Amino acid sequence: MTDTAIEAAALGKRFGWRQKGWALRDCTLRLPVGRVCAVVGPNGAGKSTLLAHAAGLLAPTEGGITVLGTTPSAARERMAYVAQDKPLYPQLTVAETLRMGAELNPRRWDAAVAERIVDEGGLDFGSKIRSLSGGQRTRVALALALGKRPELLLLDEPMADLDPLARHQLMGTLLADAAEHGTTVVMSSHVVAELEGSCDHLFLLGGGRVRLAGPLDALIAAHTLVTGPTGDLAPHIVVESRTTGRQITALIRPEGRIAPGWQTAEPTLEELVLAHLRAPGAPALTLTDEGDADNSQGGNGGNDDGETNGTRTRGASV
Amino acid sequence: MTTTVDATAPTTRGRLRPHGLTRTVLRVHRPALLVWCAYVVVTVGWMLWLHYVTGAQARAARDICRAKDGACVDFDTFAFDQGMSMAGALVAYTSYAVAAWAGASLTGRELESGTARLAWTQSVTPTRWLTVKLAVPAVVLTVGTTVLMLVYRWIWSANEGVRSDEWYYSDPFVNRGPAVVAYALCALAVGALAGLALKRALPALGTALAFIACFHLYLDERSDTLWPAKTLTGTAASRLPMSADQLELGAVTGSGARINDLTCFDMDTDTGYARCMADNGFTDLYAEVHPQSHFWPLHLMTTGLVLAVTALLVLASFHLLRRRTGGTS
Repeated sequence: MTDTAIEAAALGKRFGWRQKGWALRDCTLRLPVGRVCAVVGPNGAGKSTLLAHAAGLLAPTEGGITVLGTTPSAARERMAYVAQDKPLYPQLTVAETLRMGAELNPRRWDAAVAERIVDEGGLDFGSKIRSLSGGQRTRVALALALGKRPELLLLDEPMADLDPLARHQLMGTLLADAAEHGTTVVMSSHVVAELEGSCDHLFLLGGGRVRLAGPLDALIAAHTLVTGPTGDLAPHIVVESRTTGRQITALIRPEGRIAPGWQTAEPTLEELVLAHLRAPGAPALTLTDEGDADNSQGGNGGNDDGETNGTRTRGASV
Repeated sequence: MTTTVDATAPTTRGRLRPHGLTRTVLRVHRPALLVWCAYVVVTVGWMLWLHYVTGAQARAARDICRAKDGACVDFDTFAFDQGMSMAGALVAYTSYAVAAWAGASLTGRELESGTARLAWTQSVTPTRWLTVKLAVPAVVLTVGTTVLMLVYRWIWSANEGVRSDEWYYSDPFVNRGPAVVAYALCALAVGALAGLALKRALPALGTALAFIACFHLYLDERSDTLWPAKTLTGTAASRLPMSADQLELGAVTGSGARINDLTCFDMDTDTGYARCMADNGFTDLYAEVHPQSHFWPLHLMTTGLVLAVTALLVLASFHLLRRRTGGTS
């Protein structure tokens, strides 16, 4: 039994033959089992491509990915995947769709779980999938995924079609189920607020590359939001800084003690993510759970800034 | 206690009823299955009607005609003949509809709408998915077209005197043996491949239909080259039976050259023939033909060729799917 849910090594995927067609490049990350991981990034960052590789739906152009200690295709039975557009057969009824889940997962299917999720949405088992709304379809897709009793649940933009109430309720069901069974959950989103409070691990992707990866609390602890008079922030790594009048507000990765003139605060998840998205040239950071340094490759992560450049990898102070 | 009940229940039930992926494929494509069954039943019914009603009238009319002396136009034979050739065309062109359906619905739409990914992330590998996706319709198509072929064969030979189709006409040539089944399977394979390659229903439909139409028309044109023709000379060349498929006719000149001259072909008497030959300076006549006995060699060669193309298309589909999903198991 491995303790790694997903491990990607220099994973890259190019669509078509164009040199610029890289959807994912040089993606190296590791997710321990039992985590609830958010995959965050703007549109086109490579979130769906990463999840599709983990689900065994795409063959990498370069590098590799392992899931639950084996190849994605060997782990197929032990994971579930819900695609962004929640594809289901429109001509089947809800009951027939769940029946399909039972037929195609004969060794794992838990009908009670699937039926409970459908029931909670007040859906009629006899209605055709094509007559359902987007949110109802999401619910059926999630019922199909959870009914499989997966060890790893991959969700691509799972809540996008749901109203706030249903989102809250379904997320609650999902997380309770995951906690109860120790399921590893990976969900992508570009709505950061949706993930706050439910995730304990973060992958931030941008332009097909990993920008941040690691346990959420460690990532937040590795950054500090500083405010103070305009001045030099060296030797700290500046992710993003904004000047208003004579004041400068910056998100930094402290290297040693911060000078006494600065006001410091812990950033929120949203501040952390937004700062990295606004500053595509900021160096990448990968933290591991164990706190030991995971010295990986030096970076070529879209650099504009000579001083603070290079992919940095270091242990988190847990 | 409960485990014993659970363990025995699915086995007794699972013997007879399709389950797993087979059941899912049958359910998802149920409308197509119903349309296919309806098509087979209606076409068989129509052919039986042609034999027992239209054909009976035609045979009766022919007998009356034969009893009479002199010219006799019997319209009942026309009606039967026309019906027979329409039914023949319907059977022979089945593969066109199969190709269109397979391209659009079997794989194209699944990839377009993402439901293929839904299937591949259950406990089903893409390879097994494609295997069942091809095998289930292949079985259904083989059974259906075999029934159509057998009924067509029977009616074709039972009405020899009242039909005007010859064995080498396009539709009867394909319909009277396994070639019609091979074409249906080939259409299935090309549709599946087009759907996988193009990932969209409508372009896949168009491509699969265009391929099977071109392939069918090309083979129709070239099938007579798949077995060596028989060369007849002299009066044997000029007095060919109707059942011989004529490829090339002509005369041989004194220098031994073959020329396309049919002047001496309609000489009914031997003396007329000898005079015509002498007048034109011909030494012989020749005819390249396929006699009726060449039906099976030609037909089986055609079938083999279609099945070989089918096999290549199926291999290409699996190769493409494996390469794209990276799945080995």
